[in-house]
Amino acid sequence: MTRIQADEKLLKRLGSYQKASLIVGVLGILVLIAGYFLGAEDFFPGYLIGWMFWMQVALGALVILMIQNTVGGRWGLIIQRVVEAATMTIPLLGVLFIVVIIGIPHLYEWSHAEVVAHDELLQHKAPYLNTPFFIIRSVIYFVLWGGIAWLLRKWSVKLDEHPDDAATRKKLRNLSAPGILLFGFTVTFASVDWMMSLEPHWYSTIYGMMFGVGALASGFAFSIVVLMGMVKYKPWSGIIQTLDVSDLGNWLLAAVMLWAYMAFSQFLIIWSANLPEETTWYIARTTGGWQWVAIINVFLHFFLPFFLLLSRGTKKEPGRLKKVAWLVLIMRFVDLVWMIYPAFSPGKLAFPWVSLAALIGVGGLFLAIFFHQVAKVSVPPLYDSRLPVTQASEEAHGHVS
Amino acid sequence: MAASTDSAEVPVLGPGQTYATVTDRISGVILTKETPRGWWIGFGIAFMVMMLMLFSLTVLFAKGVGVWGLDNTVAWGFAIVNFVWWVGIGHAGTLISAILLLFRQEWRNSINRFAEAMTIFAVANAGLFPIIHTGRPWLAYWLLPYPSMFQLWPQFRSPLLWDVFAISTYVTISLLFWYVGLIPDFATLRDMADNKVVRRIYGVFALGWRGAARHWAQYSRASLLLAALATPLVVSVHSVVSFDFAVSSVPGWHTTFLPPYFVSGAIFSGFAMVLTLAIPIRKYFHMEDFITDRHLENMAKVMLATGLIVFYAYIMEVFFAWYSGNQYEQFMIYNRMTGPYAPYYWSLILANGVIPQLLWFKRVRRTPWILFIIAIIVNIGMWLERFIIVVTSLHREYLPSTWTYYAGTFWDWSLYIGTLGFFFALIFLFLRVLPMINMFEMKELVHHLSHRGKEH
Repeated sequence: MTRIQADEKLLKRLGSYQKASLIVGVLGILVLIAGYFLGAEDFFPGYLIGWMFWMQVALGALVILMIQNTVGGRWGLIIQRVVEAATMTIPLLGVLFIVVIIGIPHLYEWSHAEVVAHDELLQHKAPYLNTPFFIIRSVIYFVLWGGIAWLLRKWSVKLDEHPDDAATRKKLRNLSAPGILLFGFTVTFASVDWMMSLEPHWYSTIYGMMFGVGALASGFAFSIVVLMGMVKYKPWSGIIQTLDVSDLGNWLLAAVMLWAYMAFSQFLIIWSANLPEETTWYIARTTGGWQWVAIINVFLHFFLPFFLLLSRGTKKEPGRLKKVAWLVLIMRFVDLVWMIYPAFSPGKLAFPWVSLAALIGVGGLFLAIFFHQVAKVSVPPLYDSRLPVTQASEEAHGHVS
Repeated sequence: MAASTDSAEVPVLGPGQTYATVTDRISGVILTKETPRGWWIGFGIAFMVMMLMLFSLTVLFAKGVGVWGLDNTVAWGFAIVNFVWWVGIGHAGTLISAILLLFRQEWRNSINRFAEAMTIFAVANAGLFPIIHTGRPWLAYWLLPYPSMFQLWPQFRSPLLWDVFAISTYVTISLLFWYVGLIPDFATLRDMADNKVVRRIYGVFALGWRGAARHWAQYSRASLLLAALATPLVVSVHSVVSFDFAVSSVPGWHTTFLPPYFVSGAIFSGFAMVLTLAIPIRKYFHMEDFITDRHLENMAKVMLATGLIVFYAYIMEVFFAWYSGNQYEQFMIYNRMTGPYAPYYWSLILANGVIPQLLWFKRVRRTPWILFIIAIIVNIGMWLERFIIVVTSLHREYLPSTWTYYAGTFWDWSLYIGTLGFFFALIFLFLRVLPMINMFEMKELVHHLSHRGKEH
């Protein structure tokens, strides 16, 4: 089979995006470093928010990739290489996690021996919530996620060259199905470690699932934004017209709905039982101005994208779908601020400006790797039997050197 | 949602099927004067077990709910366990008919009809339990908000009331969906029947269907609309059922992930029941060409996926009980694992958590008799799960002086087993008088497949 190379224009575009991202990323990191030494207020919580945003995009991409490898479906053809590229950022995010490790004493109450000494509940949790074990767990998560992502990418690229290699195809599926299971557990514990334990007395059993589904929504929203940006260029222009992009819209809709379902379930159950040890989490997030963020979250993270995505017109029209995906991405960030920051500013609306610098700094580096990875290999997976036959041959004639 | 590599291996339709053979094979089961002996035996047994249910109900109405094993501490016993179990089973039918229709999964075509029938019969059984559990079933209409002379108004903040709406919506939509899907097949039966009375009966139900293009256009619009209406029900009905537990402050009930956990459990048990029915039916009526190994395998995959979510919930329940640092939560788990119901708990872990892991292996998914055994084990396991949730949380609640041991009495068991008889009696009747597989959708599939064959 011949290699479907991206359009020259697209490659150029990707190259310039990569450069721009790198510059912006480095500038962002410099601002962060300056902010740290100038003693910016709430540096670590802000960094955690910005870093977490990109982390969950990468995690969403990883689970989309594994779902795709397991269940198939035509939507996978267009999204596969994009999510593959996004998972290649996991090692980078792992390196950037070092900042969070440095910030443990600033972020996590349970890391202070003197606090734990006066707190029975934290003493009980100490076998789990302690600095060494926290770091070990995080390392395990990154090794697992990074390892799975690396293998899936390697095999997928290998299949481009040898599309008939049944053994490699089988490997893709045999790793992905248990990978989803592993993902479920690791993401749950990661969300407990990194976010839930910011308020170490509080717990909610749905938290991990809710975070995972939020990551799924971010993964789809991010992929849609990227794909719909490339839609004018070959070979995407041909492929996306032939295949139904509305499937991606449906997935985004499903993820947004699941997120709302879980967020609402948690709220209803905690509100209804009205137990003081549980309601604190919501009180910190629904008083002193935070309630407006909560309401905005309900409307713009759920209702608006929900109604927009219900319409077939939105899902069929790349430009409109892209706008909705942007909305979801922005709201994912707002949601993370709302989930994380009230732990540091309970019942008092505040915005850690550092989170924007982190969002841009981490994001720039993330995107630089991402665009590099997208441009590196054939844009649609060539071994994919779902690639439209006429399209493939036409593209092959037009663009293969 | 199987990948393309799979479809090449086992087709969704046996070879050599044409429009005529599809109609003959499926309608032949119904339009024959000779009822097979196996049917009589099966129906007879189910009918007798159903009589047990009626007997048990009579005793219950005559003497009151005191005949059950309930007491002040464990006020929710078998009735709620069975209610949740039966509602859960219904979910597979809705998932197959609604969600898989929206996802355009053609493998759903041969199993949707009896999965939907199963849904309706299961929900009928489910609906029975809360009503008789009220103790005065003749006043069940009090559950509805209606302008009443005694100013009796239901508590709208109670999920028990939401259940009334959720379940009644569920029954209505499922019944409509099933009936609308049957109309073209009723017309086929009307046209094929020799007996005048039979023709007349099917004719009435066919609502004058003539197969005109307009009929088909409206038909497909109606099915899509009903599918869209039924889709949220797959999630909402069992979520509301889970709220019955979760909004309380009882350890083991009050946990935020209960809604998705219940929904997955429902689909898990529902697919187990579909497999329990489909495997013997396809064997007995020689329907292997329509319900192929591919169908069984796909259902096994859905079971594996939902079973894993349930297993995740079992593990997280333990982790968070410890993590919470709450002594009541911890005691609840400790009591489940080592208390008087420990054998139940560990059997449920084995049945729902461990044994379904066999479904990872393709050979297991492709071997009907093993699948059948796993499906039965999962059915039992899911019943045990509900029993554990309902009973272990209640029997040793906050106040040790109220602790008791709960066990079902003869009347608990006879009613539960009786509803199984009711369920299977209805299934047998369904198999005899209605086409168990959707004939026209199978013909559509014949068309698609022959068309596709020409292309490549």
